[in-house]
Amino acid sequence: MNDDKLKIGKFELNSRLIIGTGKYENFDIMKKAHEASGAEVVTVAIRRVNFDDENENLLNFIDKEKFTILPNTAGCYTAEDAIRTARLARELGMPDWVKLEVIGDQKTLMPDNEETLKATRVLVKEGFTVLAYTNDDIIYAKKLEDAGATSVMPLGSPIGSGRGILNPSNIKIIIENAKVPIIVDAGVGTASDASIAMELGADGVLFNTGVALARDPIRMARAMKLAVECGRDAFLAGRIPKKLYASASSPIEGIIK
Amino acid sequence: MKLIINGQEKELDCARISELLDALDLKMDVVAVELNKNIVHRENFENTKLKDNDKLEIVTAVGGG
Repeated sequence: MNDDKLKIGKFELNSRLIIGTGKYENFDIMKKAHEASGAEVVTVAIRRVNFDDENENLLNFIDKEKFTILPNTAGCYTAEDAIRTARLARELGMPDWVKLEVIGDQKTLMPDNEETLKATRVLVKEGFTVLAYTNDDIIYAKKLEDAGATSVMPLGSPIGSGRGILNPSNIKIIIENAKVPIIVDAGVGTASDASIAMELGADGVLFNTGVALARDPIRMARAMKLAVECGRDAFLAGRIPKKLYASASSPIEGIIK
Repeated sequence: MKLIINGQEKELDCARISELLDALDLKMDVVAVELNKNIVHRENFENTKLKDNDKLEIVTAVGGG
């Protein structure tokens, strides 16, 4: 039995890993990767219906019995558009939670924290459970929490960059200062990145590209599952402090002369 | 009747949102609709009337992170 659950508002999860649905070669591989990851939550984006697209709807490839859908507001550049997107997601029959993402710049995809904060206040008032995507800014993480975000999601590195946790010190401070779950989102390129996030004390990790664009997405999903569990265990076990000099593991007494 | 759907002008004779979705071959349970920036709940698709120059956003879920 798992008694180490991740609680995000009213949502209680056995897995500390949240996985995306973008960039997979096809929905079949995506579905298998989702299963291999052990995730219970998958993210989706909300977009205008493409009338020329003959493909099946993504929603047909997500087993609602196994997975809870977490809609995002990716691609929104203003608080207003992010709020509209969250409301539309709720109309799609998704739970009233949202990965709130307001982007400030097309090239870096860095978040616009001011707009994110504005949208957080409005959506919290409307009863949404807000998981606020932000950069690794210690002050903004706190401001988002104070504005009512149920979880704060600092990035490890830019979206889709796979560069891992660029500022572990800031992530650690954000975690230590927070009273809400901190989920490291974006930049997780491989298993060790996920482990590092969890070893720092993150409550969870969210990723998409690292799995979807791996040579073998299903195997990478499994690696991520293990990495998140390893990192969580190591965090709970408590790492030893780093020392400058050696400390022998074998007794120094009784050595033959 | 002229409708602006997802930023595109379309000439369609649909009196209500439910008729529009049928005409566009869209299943009700995989879309959400905004009419002139106001959400229309699914249960109101049948009784929400459309008029000339209405602007609609019809969205669904797609892959994302």
